[in-house]
Amino acid sequence: MGKYTLIITEKPDAASRIAAALDVEGRGKRNVDSGVPYFQAYRDGDLVVVSALGHLYTVAGKKKTHGGFPVFDYEWVPRYLAEKGAQRIRGWLKVIAKLAEDADGFVDACDYDIEGSLIGYCILKYTCGGKDQNAKRMKYSTLTRDELQESYNHLLPHLDFALVQSGLARHEVDWLYGINLSRALTAAVKKTSGQYVVLSTGRVQGPTLKFLEEREKTIGCFVPAPYWTLTAKIIVGDVALDAEYEKILESKQEARRIMAECKTAMGEMESVAIEGFVVQPPFPFDLGALQSEAYRLFKYSPARTSIIAQQLYLNALISYPRTSSQKLPPTIGYKAILGKLAKISIYRKQASELQSKPSLKPNQGPRFDSAHPAIYPTGDSLGKPLGAAERNVFDLIVRRFMAAFDEPALRQSTKATVNVNGNKFQIGGVRTLKEGWIRLYEPYDQVKDVLLPPLSQGQTVAVKRLVLKSDFTKPPPRYNPRSLLLKMEKENIGTKATRAATIETLQDRKYVFGTSNFVVSELGFEVVETLTKYCPEVVSPEMTRNLDQEMDDIQEGKESKEVVLQNAVSTLKPIISELKANESAIGQRLNETLKQVRFEERAVGACPRCIDGKLVILRSQKTGKRFVGCTNYFKESKCNVTFPLPQKGAIKPLNSLCKSCGSPIINVWFRGRHSWKLCLNPDCPAKKEVKQ
Amino acid sequence: MKCKVCRRDAEEDGFCALHLRAYRSVLEKFDVWRRASGLVWTEYLVEIQKNSLTGGWAKEVVEHLIKDENGNVK
Repeated sequence: MGKYTLIITEKPDAASRIAAALDVEGRGKRNVDSGVPYFQAYRDGDLVVVSALGHLYTVAGKKKTHGGFPVFDYEWVPRYLAEKGAQRIRGWLKVIAKLAEDADGFVDACDYDIEGSLIGYCILKYTCGGKDQNAKRMKYSTLTRDELQESYNHLLPHLDFALVQSGLARHEVDWLYGINLSRALTAAVKKTSGQYVVLSTGRVQGPTLKFLEEREKTIGCFVPAPYWTLTAKIIVGDVALDAEYEKILESKQEARRIMAECKTAMGEMESVAIEGFVVQPPFPFDLGALQSEAYRLFKYSPARTSIIAQQLYLNALISYPRTSSQKLPPTIGYKAILGKLAKISIYRKQASELQSKPSLKPNQGPRFDSAHPAIYPTGDSLGKPLGAAERNVFDLIVRRFMAAFDEPALRQSTKATVNVNGNKFQIGGVRTLKEGWIRLYEPYDQVKDVLLPPLSQGQTVAVKRLVLKSDFTKPPPRYNPRSLLLKMEKENIGTKATRAATIETLQDRKYVFGTSNFVVSELGFEVVETLTKYCPEVVSPEMTRNLDQEMDDIQEGKESKEVVLQNAVSTLKPIISELKANESAIGQRLNETLKQVRFEERAVGACPRCIDGKLVILRSQKTGKRFVGCTNYFKESKCNVTFPLPQKGAIKPLNSLCKSCGSPIINVWFRGRHSWKLCLNPDCPAKKEVKQ
Repeated sequence: MKCKVCRRDAEEDGFCALHLRAYRSVLEKFDVWRRASGLVWTEYLVEIQKNSLTGGWAKEVVEHLIKDENGNVK
């Protein structure tokens, strides 16, 4: 092969699709060099399409500082030089460099967003010998053949440098904050205890943890207040309707008085208000809304939804999912997409109906993303069945897309007030006059009508069965993946691409636990409290939001990367100084908590003999064997309760008791094998039963 | 000085920041309970101690107030 144009993509799947779409015969030839796949195609000349593996370059300190801080000198390096687990990238970069040697044209075909642009830029600049300045750019939102060909035929003359600069700034600022703050915490612990424990925080992580901590505090300090509700059955004709007293009652005495007043009375229909209202179709999905809806309906975490959507995109079934747009421009070809959807049996009826409308206009939201439209189905089908999770997300996207084009729903609400001896009760009803878009989105948003018989003002009604219920005010719910994501979006911290990963980092660091409801751990609390005390800016959403705004300004050409970085460093320097000055105090606080956390991790339960002692997993100094013993062994009472433990496998206390003998239960597991629950008591009757 | 309830440093009224917030919440809600059910301070403490909706730190404060001889500050 002579000279060719080298096309760089973000993922191998995209490289394969692009090669096949651009090749005149519709099939790219797959080659493999040192385990790296690349594709040859022919269009107006020879093409070679090679992919990255996500980010191949990263920010790293210029000098080896061995955990020292502050660090302000950094450079972009291949990831294998900065990360232990990234050795595969060395060979990958070698192959790209070799392919670049014989190329006479370069095209960046990575995803058109901050991360994609940065990936392409780094490869062109560092691996291809400074080709970033003369490379062209492919811009597309779906991996369908037509769009890829259209994109290649109208290449952008150069890289999107504003997006690249914004990406560089984002990564560099995040690195500066992450490395310096995390090292400050880690060094503080090491200084006071001599132990190396990785503690991390960052520009987005800190404020996110603060949201969780604040909610935890509200719940932990919550004191409920009593209140009463009064309901009555109101008989209209031969129908019994539920009516609620107009307000909640804050005093038992008052509640009883009202109940007594209403007991034997008849009521009069004081007012009847009927009002029609329009329910507009939902906006098409942006990534945050898709993640939120997938959690509500299927309980998929935001990170999981993101991965599923990415896979659907790589299979050319949906458009690029990492978008914040709620708009669908006509250029995507509404009719053509609906036409394709009409060929899929489960969407045939609805898609055909929409297709036959004289004009199609989606209900769009206010959010706009210059890089990509809202998420939409391409209408293509994979040709093979999708997995259950992929099918769910795909169906959700298709139905949401179709719903956006349908008519609004028309509903009617009825609010009636019944006067019972001077006390007002309310009856509410709702009925659907026209289903509109709801029938297209039906499995995910069902209409529930509450039908009322005809009611008229002045009508006399009988009052039956009064029910007085006492209840208590509730604390706010804990954040779940959906509500936390919405909170981050609302507070405008992080980006659509990084929010889900930030939530996962908090779990990985053991700052929070739980998957459906996040509970802040002792360690999470201590980290937030320490940061709040010594450098409150780090956990304040304002600082993060302002930095994010500055980075958006770079993207829009309103600000330069250099100025933003300068501001970031000058904000960071005094914070680091403050942390360094208080290193011992910070270390002491964190150490105490870490000690407590480690103890809790080893604690199995209460001692059955001395009651105030705790059973913990210990190791014999003599034999090195592990066993469970009582903490009071080391105190005056010298409680010598012990239980043997299996010497192999990982052990985790379950904080629960055996149903047969009441002894604590632990979980034992071996890597790659099933785990099992074990009662500590060797004489447990359940064990004897099994033996017999 | 350490917090009356935990190992953290005390800030005000002998409580750390966290337990102080819980203590204030306990004080604040007493008026609501008194108006609602006519309970006196000690009855109120017992009621909220056994209520499953009361937060963990608030319960720790209540436990301390019940044990404390001067708990009936109201």
